[in-house]
Amino acid sequence: MQVRVRAFARLREAIGGDLTLEVPEGATMSRLLAAVGETSEQAGEALFEESGELRGYVILMHNGRRVRRAEAGTLTLADGDEVALFPPVAGG
Amino acid sequence: MFGLTEDDFDVNAVIDRVRKPDMGALVTFLGTVRDDGGTEVMELEAYEEVAVRELETIRDEAFARYPIAAVEVIHRVGRLRVGENILLIVVGAGHRKEAFDACEYILERIKESVPIWKKEIGEGGERWVPGESHGGDA
Repeated sequence: MQVRVRAFARLREAIGGDLTLEVPEGATMSRLLAAVGETSEQAGEALFEESGELRGYVILMHNGRRVRRAEAGTLTLADGDEVALFPPVAGG
Repeated sequence: MFGLTEDDFDVNAVIDRVRKPDMGALVTFLGTVRDDGGTEVMELEAYEEVAVRELETIRDEAFARYPIAAVEVIHRVGRLRVGENILLIVVGAGHRKEAFDACEYILERIKESVPIWKKEIGEGGERWVPGESHGGDA
């Protein structure tokens, strides 16, 4: 199935722009994040600590709704979903 | 108008659209691009669909919390020069206190939760302005 990944600010620069990734049916948010990290060394370093843990500043959204980090391992994605990755917001 | 735009706005025209005879106070916040030690240009990026929805949510929260009569919010995106307008908030109310309080509430909520980012570009290079908030549920 295909999932659209949108990234913003310095995460967009590290990942290189929006992506559409092919992931197995029933893949979780964590599985998708790993797949994004595998697209390039820069993307992997921007998203993950050396320990493999998701970096503290990464905010996750699934179809426009915030996802708590603790939910990433259990949230299953569906074909056509949109996942967004971004650092803390700085508007205003 | 309400939401995001690449174009500049006319502050007085927005105030005139909001004002009604029963309003004794129109509090306006105008945010501009600051020269932060050599900044020449600022690039503003947004997750547009989510940002507009979040601005609407914040407006609805302000109406629920304060006895105000009107809210306009315009946030610019794209490439801006030092001194240019970034954000306009206009709150109309019967009296000043609720208009000031609601305007500040809207501004703080925008900084906390609307997905917009700013990159400062100048002679010394470029930097993303650090976000002030993780949005509460990191």
